[in-house]
Order: sequence, then structure tokens, then C-alpha cells
Amino acid sequence: MQSLDGIKFAEMVQMGAHHLFQNANYVDSLNVFPVPDGDTGTNMNLSMTSGAKETELSASEHIGKTAQALSKGLLMGARGNSGVILSQLFRGFGKAIEKEETIDAKGFASAFQAGVDTAYKAVMKPVEGTILTVAREAAQKGVEVAETENDIITVMEAFTAEAQASLERTPELLPVLKEVGVVDSGGQGLLFVYEGFLASLKGEPLPQKNEATLDDLINAEHHRAQDFMNTVDIEFGYCTEIMVRFEEGKEPFSEEQFRNELNPLGDSLLVISDEEIAKVHIHSEQPGAVLAMGQKYGSLIKIKVDNMREQHSAIVGEDHKAPTPAKKVEKHPYAIVTIAMGEGVAELLRSIGASYVIEGGQTMNPSTEDIVKAVQEIGAEKVLILPNNKNIVMAAEQAVELLDIEAAVVPTKTIPQGMAAILSFNPETTVETNQATMTEAFANVKTGQVTYAVRDTSIDGVEIHKDDFMALAEGKIVLSTPALKDAAEKVITDLVDEDAEIVTVIYGEETTEENASELVKFIEENYPEVEVELFNGKQGLYPYIISVE
Amino acid sequence: MSIELNNEFGQIDISTDVLAQIAGGAAVECYGIVGMASKHQIRDGLTDILRKENFAKGVVVRKQDDDLHIDMYIIVSYGTKISEVAYQVQSKVKYTVDKTLGMSVKSVNIFVQGVRVAND
Repeated sequence: MQSLDGIKFAEMVQMGAHHLFQNANYVDSLNVFPVPDGDTGTNMNLSMTSGAKETELSASEHIGKTAQALSKGLLMGARGNSGVILSQLFRGFGKAIEKEETIDAKGFASAFQAGVDTAYKAVMKPVEGTILTVAREAAQKGVEVAETENDIITVMEAFTAEAQASLERTPELLPVLKEVGVVDSGGQGLLFVYEGFLASLKGEPLPQKNEATLDDLINAEHHRAQDFMNTVDIEFGYCTEIMVRFEEGKEPFSEEQFRNELNPLGDSLLVISDEEIAKVHIHSEQPGAVLAMGQKYGSLIKIKVDNMREQHSAIVGEDHKAPTPAKKVEKHPYAIVTIAMGEGVAELLRSIGASYVIEGGQTMNPSTEDIVKAVQEIGAEKVLILPNNKNIVMAAEQAVELLDIEAAVVPTKTIPQGMAAILSFNPETTVETNQATMTEAFANVKTGQVTYAVRDTSIDGVEIHKDDFMALAEGKIVLSTPALKDAAEKVITDLVDEDAEIVTVIYGEETTEENASELVKFIEENYPEVEVELFNGKQGLYPYIISVE
Repeated sequence: MSIELNNEFGQIDISTDVLAQIAGGAAVECYGIVGMASKHQIRDGLTDILRKENFAKGVVVRKQDDDLHIDMYIIVSYGTKISEVAYQVQSKVKYTVDKTLGMSVKSVNIFVQGVRVAND
């Protein structure tokens, strides 16, 4: 073909638009750049459809006028980033040939080049590895070939082949594409338009999707799943892929019907078929059912089933270590969820009856969501929440409102209060009664703490120096001293009175067992009537947490 | 001025200049945008495109109640569909701020301060 007129060009545009329309969903699925919102195909299709419509309405034998119509339609209908780029490509194209009645191979190629020039002018920082790159490299090739070649079809063939090759290189240029394992969505959309042009020029049917594209689709689907899901949120756990070879005597195959049958079984469904074979990819809880459904149409020639929950937690596990590592999660219909800092303290609380201990405390308060999640994880029907810290009481109360099970907060503000409350828990009675008796129980506990000062200040009339040890009795600072021993002993003397029966000392990471034993000795010597218990709480920040009952 | 973020480890203060740079940087990568412009073109005497270091003149970050609002003053390339380019800037800025800072943006308001014809 030596020359191209407006009527033929209008046909090309229709074919290009149609080919893009048929593959718009596929283009959507590749969309990870610039914003992974999965609408590149939809946007390009709407833009191109608007261009094609305008071209149809005002198609003229004059190719310049037809190209102008396309340019106008695209501009009016431009949607999305790639839609705008598409409109620019054809604006430049139209401008270059606006006075031409017909164009030859050279004119055709240079018009594409003009389009690329225009498109590049409208961007400050062109990102390579996108639709722009595909358009540019294809146009370059077109110009090159047109220097020696007069046949428009040959030029278009070389042009399209280069666009394909360029598209395949996009993952090398744009790391985000490589990471996901897809080609650029906008570039792919553009290639569909070019393929449509070529098919129209040759008078051939539109090319069908090949098998390689199924892998692209699957990659894209999986990427989405990984990015936006927690392992526990995976609803359909088995990634199932089968290939069916149709056989005589079995049910005649219909892609649409097959798709509809599979649809209720899961999500991320992809079905691609030709006369002999169907390939299926689906995420399902019943891989067996998928296999059985495939067998209705023929024999299964390839089967692959992966457990995605296992894969996902392996991938995500490293990066997303939960801030609340729960050790053993046992299912309790009636549960106590509590919050503590330090492994030893958590262990202690579990040993006396807590069903779930969320790690947290002074400097890392768990959120309402953490608490809700913990409750849901145990699968409790009734739950009591013990915050053990005054800063978490509110979050716990909010959690109760979000939970649609019977729940209540026992507003414990310290670990010793929490322990006392847990000890008076009665699984035989209601949440309400427990809340009342547990609250009463912890009211009888006095709490002492020893921690250290992070800056110079003065509180409650006590002069405090940075790195001093502070003795807190019932939350009030009673002494600030450089000696840990003095601070601990001050707490004891302030809290232990005639009514005291049991003193529990939980020592933390910032003191030693020896120091703690000495403190116990001090108590035993000075208060022979009380019983002393010693625990290693492994908590940070607080060398001692002391309860007196 | 800065924007505060709280998480379980403590507090993060992000200066609004940083936000302006992130938002502006995301915007100028959008197709069809020629650059950021000053909010006060006459007062600042900058009819020109803002450079990276003074993006803050063209990006206004506001925090109302707990919501983050960003106003952006841009110059668009002639011949592009302005509404679409502006929409792209909105979604890219929202996405980028969310991705880099983990902050969700309530609104991104676009003020087109000019249209530039590309040199032929």
C-alpha cells in the first residue's frame, strides 16, 4: 500500500478502538503505575472510544481532516493519565498531516514521530518505561524503516513489532513493573491500538491474546492480593490453576458458561480458551470442586494448587511482625484479655488465668484495634478487658463498644491491680458481676513502682534529677534518689502497714535477681508478718513493680 | 508548622515544607503538568515555574480538625485536557502522600495558575 486516505484511516481507528475495548480489563489488571488503581484500561478505552466516535462522525477522504477529528474526539474524551497522553500523541499526529489529502509511508511514519514530540513536550519529567517510551521507540523504528520502504503496511508492521518489543522492555526501565512482573499498562493499551491499526491495514482479524498474557494477568492479580491483604484476611486460600483439554463425548465447552460456574467458588478468576484447551486460574477454598468442574469438559492436563496463606505469611511475616506477639492462643468462650509489658509479666498473668496478653504498656500502648483483634482471635463470646494502665483504659472502653459480644472493662491501672482482679475472676457468673467483683478486688491492692527519671524536673514537691530512681507509691512520687535500693525500700516502707499480708515483687530487666533477693530479705527482716513472693517480670523501664495486699 | 502523627512508639512531626515537597514532587511527575506556580504570583514576582526548594510557595498544607487538606497551584501544558491533568495530580498526590507518610489526605484542591504553550 503506497498511500493512505481518510476513509481507510477512519477504519483503522475503529479497529484500534475495538481491539483496545476488548482488552481493557486486561490493561486494567496490569495497572501498577503511576497509581495502582486499576483503571488505565478503562480510561484509555473511554478516551479512544470518544476519539473513534468523532472520527466516525466526521470521517472524510481527506486524511488531515479525519486525523483532526480523531484528535478532537480524544481531547474531549481524555480520561486518566494515559488517556491524556493518547490524546497528545494523536494531536501531534493530526497536526503534522492536517493539510494532507493522503499520506505515503514516509508521511505516515513522520506523523507518528510528530505525535511523540508533542506528547513529550507536555511533560516535565518523562518517566521511561511507560506508554511514552513505547510510543517513542516505535515511532523511531517507523521513521527508520520508512526511509527505504514505501509500503505503509510494512512500515506499520515494523512499527508495531517495535512497540511490542519496547513494551516487553518496560519492566527493565521501571522498577515497580519489574517487582510486580508485569509490563506497563499504558504501553500495553497503546500496543492494542497499534495492533488494531495493523490488522485493519492488512484486512486481517484482530490478534487473539496469547498464553503469555495469562501469566501477566496472574502476576498482577497476585501482586494486588499481597499488597492489600493480611494473611488472616485471605478469604480463598488455594491458588488453583488447571488446564483442560476438551474431549469428545464430554460437555461442549462454553467459556462464558464455565466462567459463570466457577465464579461462586472464589475470586481472581481468569479463564482463557481456544478450540482445544482452556486455562483457568482461580483462588478458591475448594480446589477439588474446580478440578471436578474442569473434568466435565475434558481431561485435566495440568494442575497446580498452592496454599496462599502459607505463602503469604512467609512473604509478609518478616516485614510485618505483629506488635502484639501472642504466644499460645487458646479458644476461650469466656476470656480475660489483658495488657502487659515484659515477657515475664505476661507469663505470670497467663499463669493465673489471663487468656490473652497483649504486649504493651507505658511507651507502647495498644490501640483499640489491637484489643478488638485480640478478642476476635480468641473467639470469645464473653470477655473482660483489663488494661493495667491508665492510658489504655479509654482504648479498652472503645473496644468494648466495637465488639458485638458481651464485654466489659475492669479499669485496672497497674499490673498488681490486674493480677488481683484476675485472681477473683469467676467463670460461672456474668460479665457484669465479674466486672463488679474484680473491680472491688483490685481496689484492695496497693501498687508500688520503681522507675527512673528521663529529665530534671520537680513533681509533687520532689526534686528529680535525670537518671535518678523514682519511687512511686500508689502513683505518687515519694522519693527520687540515685540509689535503686533506697527507692525500692522507700516504696516498701510507704506501702506496707499493719493490714498488709502479701507483698509481691516483680523485678524487671534493669535490675538483677541478686538485688531483688536483697530487697526480699529487707522485707522479711522488717516485716516478719508478711509473706513475700518474687517474680522475674522481664519488663523494661520499671526495675520493680510491687504489690501489697 | 508541622503535622503530627502518633503511633505506638511515640510521635512523629513532619514539617509542612516536607509535605509540600512530597506533594509537589509527585505533581510534577504527572503527565501534562509543566510545573508548580506560586500562590501569590504578583507578590512573589514569580511568574516562573517554582523550583524544588520553593515548592512550598505553591503547595499549601492545612490541617483542619484531624483532616489534612492540600492546595496546589500548578501550570498545565497547553492542549491537554486540564480537568484530567488536574484529576491525575489529585490522585497521584493523595497516593504518594499516603504511601510515603502513611497519612490520608482529605482533599487536594487544584488551582490552575497558568497554561504554557510548548516551544515548537
